[in-house]
Amino acid sequence: MNRKLKKFLSFRSAFAVIFFILLVLYCISLFLPLGWGLLTTFKSRGEFRTNILGFPQDFTFSNYIYAFQNMDVPVPLGNGQIGYSTLLMQFVNSFLYAGGCALAAAIVICITAYATAKFDYFFSKIIYAIVVITMVLPIVGALPSEIQMARLFGLFDSIPGMWIMRANFLGIYYLVFYSTFKGVAKEYSEAAYIDGASEWRVMTRVLLPIVSPIFLTVVLLKFIEFWNDYQIPLIYLPSYPTVSYGVFTFGNTNATEASSVPMGLTGCFLLLLPVLVIFLVFSKRLIGNVSMGGIKE
Amino acid sequence: MKRAKNRVGERNRKVFYALLLAFPVLQFIIFYVCVNLNSILLAFKVYDYDTGAYSFAGFSNFTFVFNQFGTVIFQSAIKNSLILYAFTLGIGVTLALLFSYYIHKRFPGHSVFKVILFLPSVISAVAMVLTFKYFTERAIPAAWESLFDKEIEGLLANPNTTKGTLIFYTLWAGFGTQILMYIGAMNNVSDSVKEAAQLDGAGALREFFYIIIPSIYPTIVTFIVVGVAGIFTHQMNLYSFYGTSAAAELYTFGYYLYVHTKVATSYADFPELSALGIVLTVVAVAMTMTVKYLLEKFGPSTD
Repeated sequence: MNRKLKKFLSFRSAFAVIFFILLVLYCISLFLPLGWGLLTTFKSRGEFRTNILGFPQDFTFSNYIYAFQNMDVPVPLGNGQIGYSTLLMQFVNSFLYAGGCALAAAIVICITAYATAKFDYFFSKIIYAIVVITMVLPIVGALPSEIQMARLFGLFDSIPGMWIMRANFLGIYYLVFYSTFKGVAKEYSEAAYIDGASEWRVMTRVLLPIVSPIFLTVVLLKFIEFWNDYQIPLIYLPSYPTVSYGVFTFGNTNATEASSVPMGLTGCFLLLLPVLVIFLVFSKRLIGNVSMGGIKE
Repeated sequence: MKRAKNRVGERNRKVFYALLLAFPVLQFIIFYVCVNLNSILLAFKVYDYDTGAYSFAGFSNFTFVFNQFGTVIFQSAIKNSLILYAFTLGIGVTLALLFSYYIHKRFPGHSVFKVILFLPSVISAVAMVLTFKYFTERAIPAAWESLFDKEIEGLLANPNTTKGTLIFYTLWAGFGTQILMYIGAMNNVSDSVKEAAQLDGAGALREFFYIIIPSIYPTIVTFIVVGVAGIFTHQMNLYSFYGTSAAAELYTFGYYLYVHTKVATSYADFPELSALGIVLTVVAVAMTMTVKYLLEKFGPSTD
């Protein structure tokens, strides 16, 4: 049966028709606000007052230019003085924060999973149990304590400090790496050992290259997560505002020019752009098959 | 000679293992174990403004927390947190499962829908919330006026629709990760079982309820159980929508804890927040265990 006919027949199911319609409606509900938002960024404040819904009549990039020039966030300079972080600085902070945290977290998760999957010691089982237990053990309200700890170790208001704080092995990605390392045939490492390779060499030259596609996916997913996060930088990085932090501030400002709807949306689309590019380039990798739970069979 | 060589090899393996795990374990001890122990200790302390130090305060912070449960904010937080969980569970998980099944069955447009359903997960919550907020407050009333010649309030500004709109937003923007996990689990269901059901004349819905759901039940349980913790940490995106100025009747515990930690002007407010965190953790652990037990006891079987 050719593919077109198969597709047509699958549509004879009432389930397929109903859910096709529901999914199309969902897509419309998602793209309508985004499309409207994007068009609005090309309207001036004055035009928006009279033309909320239509296409921009005087297509203008002035909001983007204004945002680049004025989307500053106040930062404490010490001695009670206030300075300003420009949009360019916010982008730099975002790349350093999101890139550094994503890389640090992915390395720590990968190394921990490697050690616990490949070395059959009792401590490895403890680490595995810790990961599983912490996933279902709900801890609420530890933020004040974490702030104290960050200050105690001098990690507060420091981007490298955030890299250290976010470099933990807990969570689902540990299990993904763990099961991958467990699944790699022992013959690979044993052949290397016979050839006289050290533990370091076996890890870096034989086993880590095998998981490099998963590693890249985890780095990308973590990068997106940290890039979009504004609540943690809002608390921990008062001197290094990220773009998310800037857009949040910009969206809630009362400053006359910046408080308009087109300006607020312009900030949103500046924040969206890098992540959208990453998503479009790596969409296949990012939404590949991930399985968390077991299967009853 | 060979035994001595093996002993050296084993020692080298142990040293290598210890070096690999040194940083991750140290990081875990400081930022998980110590943070949570410190949180417990903080809950029993009070800040002295004169000395700038903490002193033991017995159970006074817990008394304060329990008294707060009579206030409008805490009562709203209990109600809203539970309502949000019920909607996420009842509508969110159900739709996510059905959408995942549609994609898993490779019905028309499945690959496009998979990308689009995941899209809100990669878009920043601030950007998504601000766009949605402006759309509901400006575009929808303008569209309504031009279509029906009648002025209406924005969906968030109108007190009758505010909470519904916030819950809708949470569901609408929250499919991404769930969908990927469910599709992954569905793809692992044995083809022979599905083919046998199809040969017996089972339609799409029958296959979904009698084959797919029982087979991926462990994944569903994991999501529901992990979601219990979310009852007390989910902010319903209130901070993104309102900053620190959400109305009392919209509060959730997640929002309360974040906002009060964010606006705390000194360490003096931390002990009460830590006490609240401990009370909520105890409730959440009990609820998590109960939900897990019930789901495992009364869940579907593959027999």
